[in-house]
Amino acid sequence: MDVSTFRGGSPAPPADPGTPPPHPDDPGPPLPHPDDPDLWFAELYRRHRSMVFSAALRLTGSHADADDLASETFLRAFRAAAAYGAPRRADLRPRPWLAAILLNAWRNRHRSATRTPPPLLLDSPLDRPDPGEDVEAAAERRETGGELARLLALLPEKQRAAVVLRHVAGLSTAEISTALAAPEGTVKSYISRGLRRLRALTDLEEAPHAGPRT
Amino acid sequence: MPDPAPDPLTTALAGLAVDAPPHLLDRVAVRWARVPAPAPLGEVAVAFTDRGVCYLRTTGPDFAASFHRRFARPLLPADHAPDGVADALHGGDPGAVRLDLTGLRPFQADVLTAARAIAPGEIRPYAWIARRIGRPRAVRAVGTALGTNPVPLLIPCHRVTRSDGGIGEYVFGAAAKAALLHAEGAPIGGTP
Repeated sequence: MDVSTFRGGSPAPPADPGTPPPHPDDPGPPLPHPDDPDLWFAELYRRHRSMVFSAALRLTGSHADADDLASETFLRAFRAAAAYGAPRRADLRPRPWLAAILLNAWRNRHRSATRTPPPLLLDSPLDRPDPGEDVEAAAERRETGGELARLLALLPEKQRAAVVLRHVAGLSTAEISTALAAPEGTVKSYISRGLRRLRALTDLEEAPHAGPRT
Repeated sequence: MPDPAPDPLTTALAGLAVDAPPHLLDRVAVRWARVPAPAPLGEVAVAFTDRGVCYLRTTGPDFAASFHRRFARPLLPADHAPDGVADALHGGDPGAVRLDLTGLRPFQADVLTAARAIAPGEIRPYAWIARRIGRPRAVRAVGTALGTNPVPLLIPCHRVTRSDGGIGEYVFGAAAKAALLHAEGAPIGGTP
């Protein structure tokens, strides 16, 4: 089904489950329709909604906050891209660009949310169940996702952002370097320190013979 | 050489990826569809959110541009307009159509709510609206609020005319206003 056409009143189609995620270093083909901001956006959303929503969910820790953050990210992206004009839209590298918008929005929310007490880390579930989640996915989340997702909240902001973008959202370190406006070596350091801290908090020891993956 | 064993931590992190929920796009984008409209308009474009219709204008190249100037949101095509819109445009009950008027200033919302109460075949002067909303001296502002009605026809601002018998202005032009009122049997002088 063409993502640019939806039945009135019906939700967007689910992702094609047969489509493998892109390799982190593969930016994919350029987005079509740079001359039409609406069609360009429809394809941007179709390709990158999972990356944006996954990162939003694991940065915020709740489906409701992830809804807010992901929708704000896409709306900011559309408004910026509509003002760019076709040539700049054609040249845009969407993943680091979206990630930068997401991180800015997240930090702004993070800082203005000081009125909200920080979430309790281990004795209250941050990860409210998604009503649309199927039984198998819910079981999976309870077994590993919920606990690990809660532990992500213990990481300092930049380590958390780098680990989530690299290992949950699947961005390359070069893309994260662009998104964070930090040298790639610094990004690798954030990731490796974040992973080390997570390992210390979980029993997920690094597999023997597996080199550190940053 | 065998592949190194996968790292359980990074594998578990990769397992935290999820697809976006279906409702996410509705929070960002607005959809639109063409709907047949009474003469002389012929056809209009209707934009709608999951809350209701938010914009109605004649179809044409200016529709998307004017929508973007006003709402600054992506506009994606839909197969059809929400239920009840086509009926409402052809004599059905406009009250059955949900409207999304979020973002309107309170004054304009009051003006449009008052205009929505005018039945087919009736006309009211701008001053009537001004009195009805408790702003009897704001007659000119009422005209401006009606002139930027985001959902004409569904909120029948064409039924508001001048006190001196003149037809007044309309978002689709005075001639279209006269034709719509004539077709509804409203007491206006002559034929359009």
